[in-house]
Amino acid sequence: MNLAADRILSLLLLGLAAFIAVQAWHLDVPFSYDPVGPKAFPLILSALLAILAVVLFVRPGPSGQWPSGALLLRLLFTLVLLFVYAALFVDLGFLATTAIVSVAIAWLFGATPLKALIGGVLLAAGSYLLFTYALGISLPTGSWIEPLLGAN
Amino acid sequence: MFDFLIQGFGVALTPLNLGLAFLGALLGTLFGALPGIGPINGIAILMPLAYTLGLPAESSLILLAGIYTGSEYGGRMSSILLNVPGDAGAVMTTLDGHPLAKKGLAGPALGLSAVSSFIGATVAILGLTLFAPLLAIVAVKFGPAEFFALMIFAFASMSAMMGKDPLKTLIGAVLGVLISTVGVDSGTGVLRFTFDMPELYDGIDFVVMIIGLFAVSEILLMLEHAFRHDQDGEMAPIGRVMVKLSEVLHCKWAILRSSVIGFVIGILPGTGASVASAVAYTTEKRISDHDNSFGTGNMRGLAAPEAANNASAAGSFVPMLTLGIPGSGTTAILLGALMLYNINPGPMMFREQPVVVGGLIASLYIGNVMLLLLNLPLAGVFARVLQVPRWLLVPSVAILAFVGVYQLHSDLMAIYLMLVIGVFGYLLRKFGFSLAPVVLGFVLGGLMEENLRRALSISGGDAAILWQSGLSIGLWVAAALVAFLPLVAGKLKAKFLPAAKAP
Amino acid sequence: MPKSISLRRWLVAAVTGGALLTGAVQAQAKPPECIAPAKPGGGYDLTCRLAANGLQDAKLIDEPMMVSYMPGGIGAVAYNHVTGVRDDDPNLIVAASTGAALNLALGKFGQQHKVDDVRWLGALGVDYGAIVVRKDAPWQNLDELMKAMKQNPSSVVIGAGGTIGSQDWMKAALMAKADDVDPRKLRYVSFEGGGEALAALLGEHIQVFTGDLAELKPQLDSGEIRILAALSEERMGGPYADIPTAKEQGYDVEWPIWRGYYMGPNVSDAEYQKWADRLEQLSETESFAKLREGRGLFPMSKFGDDFHQYVTQQVADFTQLAKDVGLTQ
Repeated sequence: MNLAADRILSLLLLGLAAFIAVQAWHLDVPFSYDPVGPKAFPLILSALLAILAVVLFVRPGPSGQWPSGALLLRLLFTLVLLFVYAALFVDLGFLATTAIVSVAIAWLFGATPLKALIGGVLLAAGSYLLFTYALGISLPTGSWIEPLLGAN
Repeated sequence: MFDFLIQGFGVALTPLNLGLAFLGALLGTLFGALPGIGPINGIAILMPLAYTLGLPAESSLILLAGIYTGSEYGGRMSSILLNVPGDAGAVMTTLDGHPLAKKGLAGPALGLSAVSSFIGATVAILGLTLFAPLLAIVAVKFGPAEFFALMIFAFASMSAMMGKDPLKTLIGAVLGVLISTVGVDSGTGVLRFTFDMPELYDGIDFVVMIIGLFAVSEILLMLEHAFRHDQDGEMAPIGRVMVKLSEVLHCKWAILRSSVIGFVIGILPGTGASVASAVAYTTEKRISDHDNSFGTGNMRGLAAPEAANNASAAGSFVPMLTLGIPGSGTTAILLGALMLYNINPGPMMFREQPVVVGGLIASLYIGNVMLLLLNLPLAGVFARVLQVPRWLLVPSVAILAFVGVYQLHSDLMAIYLMLVIGVFGYLLRKFGFSLAPVVLGFVLGGLMEENLRRALSISGGDAAILWQSGLSIGLWVAAALVAFLPLVAGKLKAKFLPAAKAP
Repeated sequence: MPKSISLRRWLVAAVTGGALLTGAVQAQAKPPECIAPAKPGGGYDLTCRLAANGLQDAKLIDEPMMVSYMPGGIGAVAYNHVTGVRDDDPNLIVAASTGAALNLALGKFGQQHKVDDVRWLGALGVDYGAIVVRKDAPWQNLDELMKAMKQNPSSVVIGAGGTIGSQDWMKAALMAKADDVDPRKLRYVSFEGGGEALAALLGEHIQVFTGDLAELKPQLDSGEIRILAALSEERMGGPYADIPTAKEQGYDVEWPIWRGYYMGPNVSDAEYQKWADRLEQLSETESFAKLREGRGLFPMSKFGDDFHQYVTQQVADFTQLAKDVGLTQ
């Protein structure tokens, strides 16, 4: 039903194969003790990938439903949220970042704002306790909180 | 001859050590169940604690070994419940474990995998007790050429996984192998595909890879299912909680075969639970998947990798205790722990430190029974994770993924990498790929290239080294058998037994 | 479902109780920290634990030292981190070894990174390279092995736990060079770590293993292997007393593997000196001598500026060496 998707994929894979081949070709070593060297494997693999990609282009299979409209927006938003989580993880600290992100994700997944707020905050606090005390894993506290705590 | 074991049980059965074995089993199960946080983290975290508390060597080894074996049990939980592997050895468990949970059989799936974990570990511990010194000699005979042949065998049995879309299975495997080439080339030291990012020099970390591929892509897919209310994401209501005896008996040969495979692969230095469970799963599919139901919730497809990864965990003690060579990343840390106590594991250890060796082996027996008793009732409790509403479950998965990767790397780049791999995994799944071939290609491909090149450096370029030993010839024959026999056998069977079906 | 309700209630109680606790605990001073620039379990991990356990046992620090891991870039990620992000953290030390100096010399930490970018603090112990063969090997001493290698470099299969350009390879290359054999003509196999290489030696896949002396004690005790030469300045004591050095057999090759630490470039002189003094004090205690021995290390005492100069000189030497053996131009 949706053959175009596989065709696009096969073109992407062809591009990838070409990119790998070019990169691998430029690998230079002063010398190598094995006759295979670092180039051979990536080159063979990229050739294999190219052949498979061509076969895929000729014989594409049906693919599932791709997200669009509101769903696509939500997916992108979730993804952005995860990247924001990563960006703030250290500076803002585990507790605060996790609480914010958990609330947002919970809301995205259909919780009412109140439920999301309570659930997200409890989740952040609970997981912090679990990791720090039960499992002894140290998590970033956040650079903004340290002066407030008067650490010296 | 088994004096050390009798002595060992004397040590292991003291209240303190029994308590530590239980604590280790419990914490291990927990560490294993949390995706991204595996036995390596658990042991690294508790090793200094054990040392600071002033525990004697055998006691802290009992605690740490409990964590190690316990986490192989625990790894299956999130594989089955969330489709996110709990640790490296549990990737294959997702394939049939999660479909079973979707059918409402999470409880029996957890129970069955606990039983097969128990049997796998028991077989391996027996093997360790009876044959350790002998096996160690065989293990070192396994050189680069033999490893290469083993990888050929593993890829040949992977052909069993071709399933409904052979083309995409192949592409997935090739992509996996390509990912394994990132980083410092193990032969020449040249940097491959690192694009001047030091974070990539050591290659892509296995944990970052599976957390990204599975957990992050699962989050995105769950959002889709929730939004569309489609059938695919629906969980059947939880049915019965306990596994039936008949179900265990149905899998008995699968479990025993996989236990032996797992143990043998476990004792080889340089391979671990991930390779063991992969080989066990694909072999089992070749042998007993008569109706092509592996991957859709087949009990045997669940039992096989679980038996194998637990067997390999116990098997990796063999080279450590007899040769002083770690059989896996985790036993490498245990070795380090012993060195803090001024004990050098190695050929003399059975003679010089019978209390430590005996205590450890005895505690493996005891810990294994504890783990079964702990994990059977926990199956019912943990199955309830599925009742947690999705809006609470998804952030939990995200938190676990982030903490797991951060704990391992203390570096944000690793988290970004995980997210990028996650998007890649999501796209793959949307294009109709299965993730298992990608992971298998990643695990096996790197070993294949390294060992091929090692073998050829040893022989000075002469390819004949690849089929010179009896071991490697045997593996080449086995590879040919698994690749071609089913084709022939399938045709014969279709001719004579048109209604052949698994019970 | 009554069970899940009670579970939830229990959870809520635990979480609120814990949240109160959290506030109390967070208000503490930062504990000293050691970064192991690798995954748990490796040599760097043990180097960190050597400091952590030693300093705690000797009561030279008030709080237990935290060990954290920063794998990546064979140490380059941690080097970047300390020169860039935590460049003035007085509570942070990072584990390092001869391998880090070698990587700096080879430019593997990135060309922009120089040895002077951090403050080298001190070493707590040292191991030495060793030339190892199986007990049934045809060579009884280093000279016999070298003669065989000279005659036909590719007749001897050497293996070790590192790639071309790694420490283990350098040992082999330096031996070859000492006898005017081109290191490129050797037959060398790299394994993933010393353990795998040792397994390959015992399994008769390779004939010579260029490992580290103290690591080999268990196999030496059991008589599985023969150590033809120690790559140390002079003979080591104890169980190693019978092992001749390469030097006394006429091949002038040394390969010390020190285990030490560095700090950020902008740590104040006072803080830097405080740490250097701590390590020096530690290295003199008796309990630490036992710990060091258990870890399989020989004593080494170079601290503070003394050590900084030592590492700087070593990197300069390695840079020259890399040219000599044909690794760089």
